[in-house]
Amino acid sequence: MKKVLVAMSGGVDSSVAAYLLKEQGYEIAGVTMCLGVKREDAAACCGAEAINDARRVCDVIGIGHYVLDFSKEFDKDVVGYFIDEYAKGRTPNPCVNCNKYLKFGQLLAYAKSLGFDYLATGHYAKIISASGGNDFVLKKPKDRKKDQTYFLYCIKKEDLGKIIFPLADYTKEEVRAIAKKAKLSVAEKKESQDICFIPEGDYAAYLRDKIKLVPGDIVNLNGKVMGKHKGVVAYTIGQRQGLGISHKTPLYVIGIDVKNNRVVVGGKQDLLSSGLIADNVNLLVDRLPTAAAAKIRYSFKETMCDVFGENGIIKINFPHYQEAVTPGQSVVLYDGDIVLGGGVIREAIK
Amino acid sequence: MSDRTVYLDHNATTPLHPEVKKALSEAFEMYGNPSSLHRLGREARAKIEVARQDIAAFINAKPEEIIFTGSGSEANNTVLSIFSCSSKSHECSCFSRKDVMTTTIEHPCVLESSKCLRDKGTCVSTLRVDKDGKLDLDNLGHVISDKTGLVSVMTANNEIGTIQDIKTIAKMVHAKDALFHTDAVQAVGKIPIDVRELDVDFLTFSGHKIYGPKGVGAIYVKKGVPFCPYIHGGHQERGRRAGTENTLGIIGFAKAVEMRKSEMLTETKKLLQLKARLKAGIEKNIPDIKFNGHPTDCLPGTLNVSFEGTEGEAILLYLDMEGIAVSTGSACASGSLDPSHVLLAIGLAAEFAHSSIRMSLGRDNTEKDVDYTVAKMAQVVKRVRSISTAYSKK
Repeated sequence: MKKVLVAMSGGVDSSVAAYLLKEQGYEIAGVTMCLGVKREDAAACCGAEAINDARRVCDVIGIGHYVLDFSKEFDKDVVGYFIDEYAKGRTPNPCVNCNKYLKFGQLLAYAKSLGFDYLATGHYAKIISASGGNDFVLKKPKDRKKDQTYFLYCIKKEDLGKIIFPLADYTKEEVRAIAKKAKLSVAEKKESQDICFIPEGDYAAYLRDKIKLVPGDIVNLNGKVMGKHKGVVAYTIGQRQGLGISHKTPLYVIGIDVKNNRVVVGGKQDLLSSGLIADNVNLLVDRLPTAAAAKIRYSFKETMCDVFGENGIIKINFPHYQEAVTPGQSVVLYDGDIVLGGGVIREAIK
Repeated sequence: MSDRTVYLDHNATTPLHPEVKKALSEAFEMYGNPSSLHRLGREARAKIEVARQDIAAFINAKPEEIIFTGSGSEANNTVLSIFSCSSKSHECSCFSRKDVMTTTIEHPCVLESSKCLRDKGTCVSTLRVDKDGKLDLDNLGHVISDKTGLVSVMTANNEIGTIQDIKTIAKMVHAKDALFHTDAVQAVGKIPIDVRELDVDFLTFSGHKIYGPKGVGAIYVKKGVPFCPYIHGGHQERGRRAGTENTLGIIGFAKAVEMRKSEMLTETKKLLQLKARLKAGIEKNIPDIKFNGHPTDCLPGTLNVSFEGTEGEAILLYLDMEGIAVSTGSACASGSLDPSHVLLAIGLAAEFAHSSIRMSLGRDNTEKDVDYTVAKMAQVVKRVRSISTAYSKK
């Protein structure tokens, strides 16, 4: 019997993932990563309440549940990274790093070393092998609305065969129905939306505690002072609200100049980029095609682009100008349903 | 999942002794309320009083000095609560001196109770232990005063097994005219306990740590010592603990105690041998480890060990999959990352405490169990260390 270690956050998705695997006859154990996040509400993944929820689900399913300490990795590779990136004027994506270093890094290493054949999570994504052999690919799941492949491009290609996404062929509604039928207490639990370590999604307040905010000028492209900012780290590319400037046409953040402590604003047309350069590249196929569909933010639609991959860097050219190409965010490349790979946007090409 | 079960968690709880099972099954039909005057009530009452005599005799107490409770935790809470009582009722004979002293390594039911006392205004001090978990007697001597009402020191520690010099401590406490309580949940039935010899005022213990049923504990209260009930509302236990008696539990408790009387000494010999084998096996096969607790003044079946550069719960996970039941010094399940307060109190670094495993042997364990555990333990420690960033000597 194959053994599977299931990462359990205490939410409905990972709970149903564990339940489905158990039904399929795998020998499984549930693990919750303790991230040491101190939040009063403790409802987000990693809090005491979440750990209790996961444990209750495991008890009902009839599997062991364990909590492993990932607080050091979390502090360094997720929270530390998040703060460093903001300090550099970039807009990071901590969930990508959490997947890369924690779930599909150290937790996968645990699974392998503790004698498990697979690691499973409750992500909406799919891994299949066309030939039934070792040529695994990462694909979009059945539920396109919940597609989480954008956050998963950083899985190492050679690890794809070690990972199971049991929710690949279920919609969120189906998952909730399964949870209800199986009498899992988390069936109705509400979705976590924000970044788990930031209370109520208030980035600015969180960053204020971590990085010294130095107020400075908001300028336009000609260097004319348009207003004052509270500290560059509190802004992101494309941001329109909260600038505190009245202007006859809408103004957007189009650049963050950490060196000179300035936030640059402009009109909608100034947000446009014709391409980008990404580093920290991870490929899930042997070689990139010359054309692909690119997703430059989780909430954005894909757009076709020309791809030039070289020396661990991806250069992308957009036939149609793109808005808000944001350094620090990830660009993920697709061929239809297949995830080709991606990287972290280093700069936008105007 | 392995078909094999190697249970090494006897300090958490124990399986029922076959004789206890038998006694319980014979008593199943008995449903009378021991407070009732009719025959059914009398029958139950008689069983309870016989049980009380047997249990009292086991620790050299008088039957009227034993109060049955619902658990060891309730027993401990009861004793500590006496020192926050401000009742003027004539039924309440509380001690006028209220300050309470306890130690850094007590069971949470004592520590949390004393925290609750502190919140209510009682002056609570916490006494130090040394690196083996032994109470610092000088510290006790300095801190104890003529305001001290109660000193509470556990006889044997549940995590590291260290046994205190209760007789000496009780003497020091009595020299200051204070009262002395010992939480002997891990001690009664595992090591000889004689309340007269130790000269304690309160001693608390429970049934499920010695192959008896869960849900029953007891307090020894020395005759003449002030007492005040924690649960009010009935004349049961001579007005000292209200609530219909757990007849079955008490019968099982007494049977468990009876079995300890005949089996404890031979079992102790066996457990010491098994523990020595376990310890030697671990020492021989696994580098960079540390045994925690006192090397000799220790419960015969308890072995606590830290494996540098590992996480206790990862080891537990693997052993669990292999059918071996142990426990760990980390408390991640509560969402906090604070490791065991006991291991911190004996001076272990948090990371080392986090890498600890407690094994507590019992009457059914065999040499084969021990050898199997050592083999699996060596395997998992090596594997976990190979991916650990905290283990330097890869």
